Amino acid sequence: MNEDDIYRTSTQFRFWTYTAKALTDLRASSNSLAASRVRDAIKRSREQGSKSETSTNNAVPEVDCLTVEEEQKLVGWYCTKAMEFCDFSEFPKAVKATAVQFLKRFYLSTSPMTYHPKQMMLSAIYLATKVENFYIGIAEFAKMIPKTTADDILAPEFLLTQGLRFTFDVRHPYRSLEGGIMELHEMSRGSYIPPHGSSFTTEDVRVGILKVKSHRGKPATMTPDECAERIKRAHNKAGDILTKGALLTDAYFLYTPSQIWMSALLAADKPLAEFYLHIILSGTPNGSVSEPSSLELRLLSLLEQCAGLMTRSSSRGPDETETMELKRIDKKLYHCRNPEKIDLVGMNKAVKEGSNGDKVDEEKVVKKRKIERDRAAKEEQDLFGAPLKK
Amino acid sequence: MAISPNNLEPQNARETKAPAAAKLKSLPVRRNQVDSAGKIETGADLTEHLNLEIKNKYEKDRKLGEGTYATVFLGHLKKDPKSEVAIKKIKVMQEYKDGISVSAIREIKFLQELSHPNIIAMHDVYSSKNQNLCLVLEFLPLGDLEMLIRDSEGIRYGTADIKAWMAMLGRGVWWCHENFVLHRDIKPNNLLIAANGEIKLADFGLARSFADPYNRMTWNVITRWYRPPELLYRARHYGGAVDVWSVGCVFAELILRVPYLAGTSDVDQLDKICQAIGSPTEQNWPGVSELQDYVKSESIRPLQKKESFLGLFGTVGEGGVDLLMSTLILDPRRRVTAKQFLQHRWWTSEPRPTKTENLPRKGGVSAREKVGEDLKRRGGELDNDKGADKVARKLDFGNRSKQAV
Ligand SMILES: Nc1ncnc2c1ncn2[C@@H]1O[C@H](COP(=O)(O)OP(=O)(O)O)[C@@H](O)[C@H]1O
Ligand SMILES: [Mg+2]
Repeated sequence: MNEDDIYRTSTQFRFWTYTAKALTDLRASSNSLAASRVRDAIKRSREQGSKSETSTNNAVPEVDCLTVEEEQKLVGWYCTKAMEFCDFSEFPKAVKATAVQFLKRFYLSTSPMTYHPKQMMLSAIYLATKVENFYIGIAEFAKMIPKTTADDILAPEFLLTQGLRFTFDVRHPYRSLEGGIMELHEMSRGSYIPPHGSSFTTEDVRVGILKVKSHRGKPATMTPDECAERIKRAHNKAGDILTKGALLTDAYFLYTPSQIWMSALLAADKPLAEFYLHIILSGTPNGSVSEPSSLELRLLSLLEQCAGLMTRSSSRGPDETETMELKRIDKKLYHCRNPEKIDLVGMNKAVKEGSNGDKVDEEKVVKKRKIERDRAAKEEQDLFGAPLKK
Repeated sequence: MAISPNNLEPQNARETKAPAAAKLKSLPVRRNQVDSAGKIETGADLTEHLNLEIKNKYEKDRKLGEGTYATVFLGHLKKDPKSEVAIKKIKVMQEYKDGISVSAIREIKFLQELSHPNIIAMHDVYSSKNQNLCLVLEFLPLGDLEMLIRDSEGIRYGTADIKAWMAMLGRGVWWCHENFVLHRDIKPNNLLIAANGEIKLADFGLARSFADPYNRMTWNVITRWYRPPELLYRARHYGGAVDVWSVGCVFAELILRVPYLAGTSDVDQLDKICQAIGSPTEQNWPGVSELQDYVKSESIRPLQKKESFLGLFGTVGEGGVDLLMSTLILDPRRRVTAKQFLQHRWWTSEPRPTKTENLPRKGGVSAREKVGEDLKRRGGELDNDKGADKVARKLDFGNRSKQAV
């Protein structure tokens, strides 16, 4: 069983990987389903209103719902907000990345018209802290956010987990990027062992990497130090793409983590990435020649696509016109929100109160034991001190 | 590395396995939906609808047991009344203020990802009306390994049986580690037994991923008797070796039929380890003195020799003792890995491990009588089992394929 096979058993692959078309279709269907729900709900609330107030609004205009593009812009904006919050609070990279993917996954099947991303955002971050071993008590977490209570953060949690279809594991490309960079350094130091079946020697690879063409395609001969510098620059740039573009675009839905980090490397330093790919594929049939194999070419074109996606403008923060546009969308949303789904705290209470099935003392014992367990989890990141209040 | 472009080619499997997408096509936009209980749901959205659909697949029958944070029910698939599943309903605790508990999140997270014959299978997750999380697990009716070990009156077992159980445990743990998951609570009580006699690693409430070696982790995991010395010294960085130690303790307990290192406190636990195995020192464990709670003991106990282990555990043979000792090496870096554990010569030496269906079971009879049905279901694997008697084969790691032992 190789890594490809293992990856195919992951929920990220089984539940959250799509073809571009499936992704578009899914978003379109979610949008139209939500829109019709919104129209129905608004009609219901108007009917109720007219019953009790017995007057006015005869000719009510049809509700103008968000389009798929508008929904995506809005969700994207709240994803950047979530990232800013995580950066500001000095949360680990994994918390930030997981929180953003939670939001993106949630809004594949849910519309902002049904549940506002502002409500879901904090819940997604909080859930991500629990999933990524950075567990903080809710009181402390709520304190970090002005005008927000623990209830505001927890009320949508359940909807969120349901929307995530109870899959919490998000596979990120960070660790593999570090591994790849380490290999590149080994290549330049002459300590890299080529894959089984490759006809390249360690020395071939060392000589080869020092001759990798520059960005602009100029032939080069680097000293080992210059090469190490170059790898470092590529590392930083690729790392940057992984913490921004990779998160905000659909990269995670369309590509595997390995493809994502290699694409980031490709975007950072194309000749270097091409060299790396050629070497690591040199153990595959037809891999060990100077010309790229057909597998390699196919892979390269796929990585180019992914690199293009992640470095497109949509992966940066909004500029002034985009901000105006976002304001417009937000205003529009005000009029097309599903009125029955706004009060999440209230909805949540209603459900919880209907559930007093369990015996009290039984609960106490259970609670004690579980809290002990959770304390262990919590303790795990108390290690970081309490850098979270700002 | 999962870079193959094949991962991206539209596969039929994937199109249908992205159930949300497939589902949406067939989901009429209805104003109201009536769920099975006849209650009208107003405008359930897609995820609610999917959830209901999963929930309605199952019927709860009776309560099976009560755990620390869950109530477990026996249930079945509505479309197959003869089927059996365990439905583990996570309790909502009013006083628990931090939302869904970390244990529940961990258990769900890892069981969703890990699929292996020696790890309890989770078929589905859904939420009940009252927002209780329900995990649909495979039904494991034969209790746990602790019950077997303790029932020394009713259940007799020998080396071949221990070998079979330990191999299954080893494979389950290996698969966790292969997926960068530490279980962190391995003990006989968390090893459940399936109707066909297979051992299943369960209870992932303390599990975590260890993909990133820089992360600091808590030492406060693993039930004390099964806790390795590095955790007792409060190490912050550790790996699969912690689970391997626990595996060794289970191995020893299977042989002795009482817990091997039953400390009454953390200090006493370390003392028991020093007595049984030897005192950790810079010589036998370079770097140990830098661990937070390391104290150099007054009287250093030398490492125990193989002879003393042979005296206690000799019934499993020299090979078995060698394997046991390799799991109980003080220095976690020198302790065997789960993979090396499975590659040990003991597995292929005599006696051959007992066939799963012949293993002793609760109630004192082997599972053979009940197994007829299972064998039919498993088809081709039966022939493999027969072959295993004649040819001593290498232990199969059992990643979702056949069982070779
Ligand atoms: N898959 C299962 N099949 C049959 N019985 C089970 C299963 N899972 C749990 N049980 C029963 O329910 C009890 C409690 O479950 P457990 O998983 O230990 O809960 P907790 O994790 O809260 O301790 C167990 O002791 C056992 O009797
Ligand atoms: Mg338990």
